Amino acid sequence: MAQQANHPLPNGYQLEEYTIERQLSLGGFSIVYLAQDAAGVDVAIKEYLPNSLALRTEGQTCPVIAPEHLGAFRYGMKCFFEEGRALAKLSHPNVVRVLNFFRANETVYMVMEYEHGRTLQEFIIKHKGHISERFIRGVFTRMLNGLREVHSCKLLHLDLKPSNIYLRTDNSPVLIDFGAARQTLMNEQPILKPMYTPGFASPEHYGSRKDLGPWSDIYSVGATMYACLAGGAPQAADARMANDELVPAMVRWEGQYSDHLLEIIDWCLSLNHLYRPQSVLSLQKTLVTPATNAADAPVAKPPDNWVNRLVDKLRS
Amino acid sequence: MKFTIYQGSLQGGRANNEDRIAYCYSREALLMVVADGMGGHHFGEIAAQIAVQTLTEAFQREARPEIFDPFRFLQRSMSNAHYAILDYSLAHKLDDSPRTTCVACLVQDSIAYWAHSGDSRLFLLRSGKVAAQTRDHSRIRLLVDEGVISQDQAATHPERNKVYSCLGGDVSPEIDFSRKTPLERGDVLLLCTDGLWGVMPGEELALALKNVNLMQVVPGLLQEAEVRGGPKGDNLSVVAVCWEQGYQEGGHDSAVSTQMMSPGEVTTKLEEFGRQSGHKMELTEEEIEKAIIEIRSTIEKYNSGK
Repeated sequence: MAQQANHPLPNGYQLEEYTIERQLSLGGFSIVYLAQDAAGVDVAIKEYLPNSLALRTEGQTCPVIAPEHLGAFRYGMKCFFEEGRALAKLSHPNVVRVLNFFRANETVYMVMEYEHGRTLQEFIIKHKGHISERFIRGVFTRMLNGLREVHSCKLLHLDLKPSNIYLRTDNSPVLIDFGAARQTLMNEQPILKPMYTPGFASPEHYGSRKDLGPWSDIYSVGATMYACLAGGAPQAADARMANDELVPAMVRWEGQYSDHLLEIIDWCLSLNHLYRPQSVLSLQKTLVTPATNAADAPVAKPPDNWVNRLVDKLRS
Repeated sequence: MKFTIYQGSLQGGRANNEDRIAYCYSREALLMVVADGMGGHHFGEIAAQIAVQTLTEAFQREARPEIFDPFRFLQRSMSNAHYAILDYSLAHKLDDSPRTTCVACLVQDSIAYWAHSGDSRLFLLRSGKVAAQTRDHSRIRLLVDEGVISQDQAATHPERNKVYSCLGGDVSPEIDFSRKTPLERGDVLLLCTDGLWGVMPGEELALALKNVNLMQVVPGLLQEAEVRGGPKGDNLSVVAVCWEQGYQEGGHDSAVSTQMMSPGEVTTKLEEFGRQSGHKMELTEEEIEKAIIEIRSTIEKYNSGK
């Protein structure tokens, strides 16, 4: 049976003290709107509305939930609360801030700060293959500050990817969408399908998930950096486990980026989680250590690989 | 308190898992319990469940946030568990009372106190060596102590699983207590059932758990032990804690810190086996309201500075 997409609340709809401006995104579990609060400030509102369990047709405001789905719907709501709880505790410039949380239309809503900018995903598409090392180091060092804060609250993000990293107009990153985040110590098995995005999810995401840890988010960080260079997602981890066709960053971009950065990317993308950086702090420490070798200096190398090789040949 | 803790259990080759494990902690105290329901007896798993529940419930009641008298606490709750098992068999008119081994350890102020009855063990592992361990209440243990048989013979002796003390049953249990044992940073306390120690000696466990993150290594040890146990292997269970007192960076990310807990708060992890534990699917209206109020107050708390 084809799954029907839920209809968003209409533009101009008054939701408590907020006025819906338009839909920003539609996911399997929620709809995100751009709205204005009473003072006219832009906010992002996330509405819990799992596609498979609740249906809202055009013109309706309250979703229809079949009685047999009510249990699962409420269970999912628990996860949504988890996300709210997690974010409410986090107060960090590189993590999206929750402003309000309320119940309406037989479901729940989370109000978050809205900032002008774009996702890293949009940035990657726009600058396909031409993202500078400087930019990558700058964005990721700050993004890791946010992720460190998340981990220090004993939370894992579990769905890190370019479209969940938001860039403000000054290119400072903000982590958004903690829909997959779970308290690491929680032992509950997911009833709703676990959420992950192929290419960015770690090998542990696919298995029994008992090995999930900070290193799993670190895999996703590596995949996201890889995507910055490649312009698209790397091979999915489950496919890599079967037949690893991922060209190491070290091989693919040799000479175009510093060996130091490329090594970090490959390190994060180790299939065995024990071989990856075990904490964000250790990754961050490496990332901010400037490449010691002068030849590694990021700007010194011309981007064009074959020209580079030709010059080298002529020199020797 | 700062520590890393892992608990896990595997069924081995048995039809069901009669081991029960749990840990719970408050801001100042940590309790770990392992119980091995006795297979030959009916309802072994029920005895084990009662034992674990009685101890954790007592902890939840009494840790405020410290336990006033640790040894008394262990003594009292283990003998309460014994009587609770007897009550159960009376109430259900069982011919024979179910039985279980039990080992429990309480840590507070970085001092460990433990007690046991039967042949589930506690090992204190320090820098790759066994620094202390419980002495099984088994005939075999006595024979080894008297020099009648050797360690190696004991490992394969047909009666190696027979214990003379346990919770439940018509004889009052013999409970042994440790000394007050101060812990050092990096010490590992490992409580386990014979399914584990029977195939993996303490020395091996000590070496395997030297300077590692328990969360990563213990699951592998359990699996290895299950393989060694073979197709008819016993249930195997473990609760292991690595004491990480001290505030230096570099504590494992998975470490539990109880600093932020309120004095009356207790966290309990009680594992259930055998059946798909009923997921609490339904959130009541009340719970939804409560969750929202909680989130809103957290938002206010953390945003008020802005």
